[in-house]
Amino acid sequence: MSKKVLALVLAGTMAFGLIGCGSSGGDSGAEEAPAAAEEPAAEEADGAEEAPAAEEASGGKPFEGVTLKVWGGAAEYNTGTEAVFAAATEKLGMEFEVEISPGGSDGDNVLKTRMASGDIPDLVAYNAGSKLYDLNPSRGFLDIKDWEILSKFDDAFVDAVTVDGAVYGLPISSTQAGAVIYYRPDYEELGLEIPHTWDDFVANCKVLKDAGKTPIYFCGGTTWTTQVLFLGDYYNVEAEVPTFAEDYTNGTAKYADVPAATRSWTKYEELVDYLNADKSAATADDASIAMANGEATHWIILTQQLPMLLEFADDPENFGVFGVPGDDPDNHGLTVWEPMSWYVGKDSEHVDAIKALFDFYYTDEALDLYFNTYGANGPSCIKGYELPESVCSAIRVDMQKYFDEGKITTALEYQSPIKGTACEQMTTAVGLGQMSGEEAAAMYDEDCKKSAIQLGYDWE
Amino acid sequence: MKTKRDHSIYPVWFVLPSLVIFAVFFLWPIVTSLYYSLTVWNFDTAKFCGLDNYKLFFSEYSMSSSVIHTMIYAFGTSALKVIIAFFIAIFLTSRIRTKGFIRSAVFFPNLVSMMAVGLTFSYLMHPTKGLFNVVIEMLGGTPIDFLGNPNTALASILMTDVWKGLSISVVIYIAGIQSIDRTYYEAASIDGATGWQQLKNITLPLVAASQNSIIILSLIGGLRSFELIWAMTGGGPGFATDVLASVIYKQYAAGFYGLSTAGNVVMLILISVIAFPLQHFLNKREEAMQ
Repeated sequence: MSKKVLALVLAGTMAFGLIGCGSSGGDSGAEEAPAAAEEPAAEEADGAEEAPAAEEASGGKPFEGVTLKVWGGAAEYNTGTEAVFAAATEKLGMEFEVEISPGGSDGDNVLKTRMASGDIPDLVAYNAGSKLYDLNPSRGFLDIKDWEILSKFDDAFVDAVTVDGAVYGLPISSTQAGAVIYYRPDYEELGLEIPHTWDDFVANCKVLKDAGKTPIYFCGGTTWTTQVLFLGDYYNVEAEVPTFAEDYTNGTAKYADVPAATRSWTKYEELVDYLNADKSAATADDASIAMANGEATHWIILTQQLPMLLEFADDPENFGVFGVPGDDPDNHGLTVWEPMSWYVGKDSEHVDAIKALFDFYYTDEALDLYFNTYGANGPSCIKGYELPESVCSAIRVDMQKYFDEGKITTALEYQSPIKGTACEQMTTAVGLGQMSGEEAAAMYDEDCKKSAIQLGYDWE
Repeated sequence: MKTKRDHSIYPVWFVLPSLVIFAVFFLWPIVTSLYYSLTVWNFDTAKFCGLDNYKLFFSEYSMSSSVIHTMIYAFGTSALKVIIAFFIAIFLTSRIRTKGFIRSAVFFPNLVSMMAVGLTFSYLMHPTKGLFNVVIEMLGGTPIDFLGNPNTALASILMTDVWKGLSISVVIYIAGIQSIDRTYYEAASIDGATGWQQLKNITLPLVAASQNSIIILSLIGGLRSFELIWAMTGGGPGFATDVLASVIYKQYAAGFYGLSTAGNVVMLILISVIAFPLQHFLNKREEAMQ
């Protein structure tokens, strides 16, 4: 009998091991799948065109037979990018082999490891700003500062993809903001005004709560989202302490010591009573659905979530956006994120094809195709380009207003290379009321110190 | 000594291949990791910084708390598995019908992957929509935020781990109990020993060898646990369920390679410091009993 039991244990262990192998094999297969699915379709399209216009093809499609390897997250390789790539295949002939990154810190991990081993695809989609700096881009990305196309983008974007004098990135989409998305029908129903100070905002939340609504949706299940109030409050920090970014980089300004900066953390405390019941487990998808159905009134989030939210919503005009309010009603501004960017692999053999791709990517035709297919995250950073009418008014009117009035600043991660890595754990804990704002601010200062040391700053 | 050497049939050189493999794949990485844990390094350069990484590891709450969580987790899961599995094994070796079916049922959780168990339980424990809270509310209780409340989060994961890992312990116990000679029980019952006395004075001492394996296996498993915690809370809320392995992973992902290596060394030392003396003690206990 005991032999039987032993056999059972061994069989169990083996089966368990096999399941492990199977699932990991399955994963990598799944990652490749979108690319594989993509190719036959693209080829078919090619074949169909080639038959009647074989002669023209050689003249009109200079990059027939070139396959570009692309690596990016699901948010970057969206329906818009897919449509533009398909159009590029039709026009220029190059094909794309896309690998979807797992995103978040797992994605960072993969990319950092690939950079270290020199295994870099032709095109990589990744953040601009401090995360790019962190990657040590000269090791893997091509310096494109002499590409003419750069003159199309506004300076704030180019700054965000410049590291040590070298320029690396090209914008994937539009800018976005860390702001408050709100549900207009609730505001109309209760006669609320858009708040221009933080106290007015909290007062609005109280009115909403008394009326039986969920004033703010908080997603503790998707922890990165919880940082947005803290990061999006940066406009207000800078308004009070204009030199904060520089002092913070040099290690002389700390979140716990500068009152305007501590305020970014204590704001969470004032919202604790106004959150949804499942705040600790709700995910960003839950939030999109709840907001789209009007089950919550505010969501403090990056506006890149708007297109995803609108997929669930009946009427895109039900949503508006305002910046995280500060204390001065006359200076209510917006903290802006530069778009995620395309980077070119240093050792890519297809630089000409990539150049041609981007010459096409930033034509009005391709941009309209992108924004009409996927939607926009915010106003565009491409000079002289107007977003098409199909983009919702929250972006074309509400957010554009801040840009026109000049009441914008880029987030701290574009002004300083140092960003604490455990930020999202701390903002989750403060947001759920498990830690005080002051405590978190002091803890965040410690966290930033690690980044500073790793980047070679002397922070004593 | 000399005579012994002469009698040896095989030359010592036979050990060389395995020694080389062991040195290249085990000893060398341990030595290099000791060195890198004393540096700030990226993949290209390493700057020596003394014990700063260790100081930082133990001074920062987000990392030092993980040591305590790891200990709670390891000792908690190990103790519960040892105790609960013992009674289940007793039950499953007694004269009951459908023994085969119940044994399979007990073993079943072990066939499911850790990630799947973690995700399933995190849905079951959802604060508003989860089955557990739906039942609690139906019975008139107030819902519990199992994974969102720092006071219950670690305990909730711990219980899930026990649910999943119990079966291996049960199987080892069953094997141990069945190898006990029946005549002891017969003799004892002739002498008028009650069931409880038989359990305490025959089964428990004679199953000690199996028990020791369970303690060691589950303790080491608990000390280096990662998947379940990662799937259920990712170390959150805040840092409430961060254990050594998850902290090491996070520091690595954040690009703090030196710090992450230091965390690995801390884990190696912790496991060695706990596991070796414990095994020594348990072996002594086992010998004393026989």
